[in-house]
Amino acid sequence: MTSEKRNGETERVGVYICHCGGNISDHVDVEKVAAHAQRLPGVAVARTNMFMCSDPGQELIQQDIRSGRINRVVIASCAPSLHELTFRGAIKRAGLNPYLYEHANIREQVSWVHHGEPATRKAATLVAAAVAKAKVLEPLEPIRVEARRHATVIGGGVAGLRAALDLARRGIEVVLVEKSPFLGGMAAQLATLSSSGKNAGELIKALAQAVHAETRIGVCPGAEVIACEGSVGNFSLTLEQRAPERRPEWKHQPGDYVPFAGFVPALPDGVQQFTFETGAIVVATGFQPYSPAIGEYGFRRYPEVITLPQLIRSLAEDKARGSRLVIAGKPIRRVAMIHCVGSRQIPGIHEPGEGGTLNEYCSRVCCAAALQAAVAIRESYPETRVFEYYRDIRTYGRGQEELYEQASKKQVLFFRFEPEAPPRIEPGDGPHPLQVTVRDTLTFGEEVTAEVDLVVLAVGMEAGPVQALVEKLRLPVGADRFLQEVHPKLRPVEVATAGIFLAGTCQAPMTVGEACAAAQAAAAKTAALLAGGSVELDPFVAHVDPGRCDGSGACLEACPVKGAIAMLTVENQVEIWWRIERRQARVNPAQCTGCGICVAACPRKAINVNGWTLQQYEGMVDAILEG
Amino acid sequence: MKAVVDPDLLASLEKFGVADGAACFNCGTCTAVCSLSSEAAAFPRKLVRYAQLGLREKIMQSPEPWLCYYCGDCSETCPRRANPGEVMMGLRRYLTSRYDWTGISRLFYTSKAFEVLSVLVVAALVGAGFYAFHGPVVTERVALNVLAPNTVVERLDLALLAVLSLLLLSNAYRLFQAVMGNPSPEQRPDSGGRQPSLLHGIPLRVYLQEAKELAFQFLTQSRFAACGTKSQRTQWYVHLLVMSGYSIVFLLVVVGLRWFQTDKLYPLWHPVRLLGYYATFAILYGTTYAILGRLRKSRAAYAHSHASDWTFLILLWLTAFTGIAVHAARLLAMPLATYLLYVIHLMIAVPMLLIEVPFAKWTHQLYRPLVLYLVKVKGNARQS
Repeated sequence: MTSEKRNGETERVGVYICHCGGNISDHVDVEKVAAHAQRLPGVAVARTNMFMCSDPGQELIQQDIRSGRINRVVIASCAPSLHELTFRGAIKRAGLNPYLYEHANIREQVSWVHHGEPATRKAATLVAAAVAKAKVLEPLEPIRVEARRHATVIGGGVAGLRAALDLARRGIEVVLVEKSPFLGGMAAQLATLSSSGKNAGELIKALAQAVHAETRIGVCPGAEVIACEGSVGNFSLTLEQRAPERRPEWKHQPGDYVPFAGFVPALPDGVQQFTFETGAIVVATGFQPYSPAIGEYGFRRYPEVITLPQLIRSLAEDKARGSRLVIAGKPIRRVAMIHCVGSRQIPGIHEPGEGGTLNEYCSRVCCAAALQAAVAIRESYPETRVFEYYRDIRTYGRGQEELYEQASKKQVLFFRFEPEAPPRIEPGDGPHPLQVTVRDTLTFGEEVTAEVDLVVLAVGMEAGPVQALVEKLRLPVGADRFLQEVHPKLRPVEVATAGIFLAGTCQAPMTVGEACAAAQAAAAKTAALLAGGSVELDPFVAHVDPGRCDGSGACLEACPVKGAIAMLTVENQVEIWWRIERRQARVNPAQCTGCGICVAACPRKAINVNGWTLQQYEGMVDAILEG
Repeated sequence: MKAVVDPDLLASLEKFGVADGAACFNCGTCTAVCSLSSEAAAFPRKLVRYAQLGLREKIMQSPEPWLCYYCGDCSETCPRRANPGEVMMGLRRYLTSRYDWTGISRLFYTSKAFEVLSVLVVAALVGAGFYAFHGPVVTERVALNVLAPNTVVERLDLALLAVLSLLLLSNAYRLFQAVMGNPSPEQRPDSGGRQPSLLHGIPLRVYLQEAKELAFQFLTQSRFAACGTKSQRTQWYVHLLVMSGYSIVFLLVVVGLRWFQTDKLYPLWHPVRLLGYYATFAILYGTTYAILGRLRKSRAAYAHSHASDWTFLILLWLTAFTGIAVHAARLLAMPLATYLLYVIHLMIAVPMLLIEVPFAKWTHQLYRPLVLYLVKVKGNARQS
């Protein structure tokens, strides 16, 4: 089928089949698979082992490589996502090019889904296909791209500040881009933070001051990204920076901390645009609080209906500190808090927002925030009673369940409602301006009315208005409209585009603590990427065969990644006296994602994805059909 | 009727002994472990919840507090130590005060000063009455019927009975109104429309059909033992003992005083004498058992003692004890001691009856069987 000799050397494939401690061998006759592989042309050795990923298992492969017995490796075990890198490393350490290795997944694709003879047959077929491919593998080298030790953090909230500081402390130059004239973001709107009990303002102030003092961080307030070119290691960003509209009451100097607004950095004058090169981008654009519709739980219909952030601010700004809460001069004897406002919305029950969107997710922080406010009220104002109306109490984090406990001890009353029968807010007929009526499942579905002075809506989190940035950076957006990582567990702060990371609530609702953890993860990932001054990328990218390419441009047309393929004009010296100019496709390996769409589009079969060439596919398909 | 939350009710219920209800997070473990709770009348969670929210009218209409016999299983299994058993106990005191139109019950339960004073004042009045109106004091022999002729005392007893009955029955009528005004579970407000009160519209026939239930429950308190545990069964025996002793002696004193208070000693085997011995022994044994239990907090039901619990037990114990003392002094032929002890006995027994029967603990003697009976009537009316 293929030439016996490549690069002047015969292909000698070693096949290594894993028992996976019974996970595979209980359903697949691994010895039979090995015997079958042994008979395949080009296979020098076929072995089995209890755990191929273990040290003795790897040693088995390395010995065969070192002794010169094999020069191609096929490993049949679990999914490659688990141990491909393990085996690649082992092969490299034994002195063989790590890309002369093919993997057959006989666990997830065989033993976990098939049993008995068919399982063994399928495993043998997959191994045969891998052997066929292995024989035509070419040695590859990882793509190395020069990278600037410079990162850009977009968003000056708690996650952005945290990420910028971490990066700077790892020796990386940072530009921190913030749209507003303040640093601190939404966290600056908070008071006490749950579980630690720390004051959010103090935290933001300390963090912003540290950022301000850090010479490696350049803060750009009032700025927005207006263009992004380039790729990992060498992005080129253009910012537009505008001086804030100074209102007459604006008295703040750079370095001031303004409660419930944030830290004031040095502000620019006028409007300016500038472009700079950066190695990686951390997106920390945050969230926006859900804004209730007019009339939703009486919002904007009755002045006594406010949102939780408004309550938090009122609590912080109440200087009278009597035995009963006073808001806008009115004594508040009873507060009703309604949970899940703008969160966990259900199609058919909740009214969609602008653009027909529903927030079907749980905003995660509102339960703890509402309980914290309830506890704060009961502690400071013993004569103010608090009623909580919830669907479920989701105090999932450390120290959060204790908040429920405290609220309960302080005689906060809880009412539980079904989503289809939310509490009704109506004008009160007694001494209190409003009344809340609910079909309370804790009272066996009976309707219960409470007269109150204030209704507080625990509003959820929504994805921030970052549509322009999403388009410029080509960021993936999930169904919930938050930015989406590659994998929630395996690559939690990365997006598919190399060199772009996510930090904080741009990705999902998070507490301040979680946002900081995500920011630190993104900073660590960014620092690891840029630390060496160059970036190593997988070599599985498209590659143009210059001899075959006739410059049709079909690949460029098909390519979904901007900048991954370019059409160049090259001069061909046909004879010493005859030079022709022609157009030819060229791949930028740093930007190509290796999707292979161009391969299908090329009429001349002049473009292939390294490590997954058409020839290799053909070999595999033939082997499967023969099996 | 709208159920309106009153977050301050729970604090005022504390005076009635509802202590830890606020801790409840409505898991329902108490109702699940309760062997008396049923689908039609599920408790104690429901009542704990009503108390938490301060739904006064819902509590007022609930028969459930009277369906609980405080075995304590709920309090022992409550994951939040909200003490549902004690909440039910406290609600029985609260309901007793709500049924009582005079307001005396409320004062008695919520003010220790009133509690002590009311007993002392009634005792003093009885003492003063004796001092002013007693007959000739015969010192050569025991002649109680000369000092306090049983025919006179009997008339006073009957007058007392009339007063007690009037008060208790009028309070019981308010109980009847409240419980029968409560819509059946199928007619909850959320099912829409106005629910008809059951106060009217149930034919007398249904009431009569179930009359035997009233008598049966009154005499046996069989539900007490239905909790099923061994200790609860013991509790039932003790309760039966006290109850039978008290009823016998009540009848002997109120209706049969002419046979009970005699200057001529009956022979030992005489039924009146035997009944007297049985009754006093039963009361003394039962109250001593309860007093020791409360001192040692031997079971959940004895773990929390309201001031009124002590008043009740001490008055009852002393009534029985002074009764025996009168008898002993008479047997020993000590006239003055007999007379003195007789007066003391009445100074304890009369306040005990006058306060406990229409306003406090003794009300349950009528309220419990009455509620069970009404629940049954309601059930029948719903079926037909």
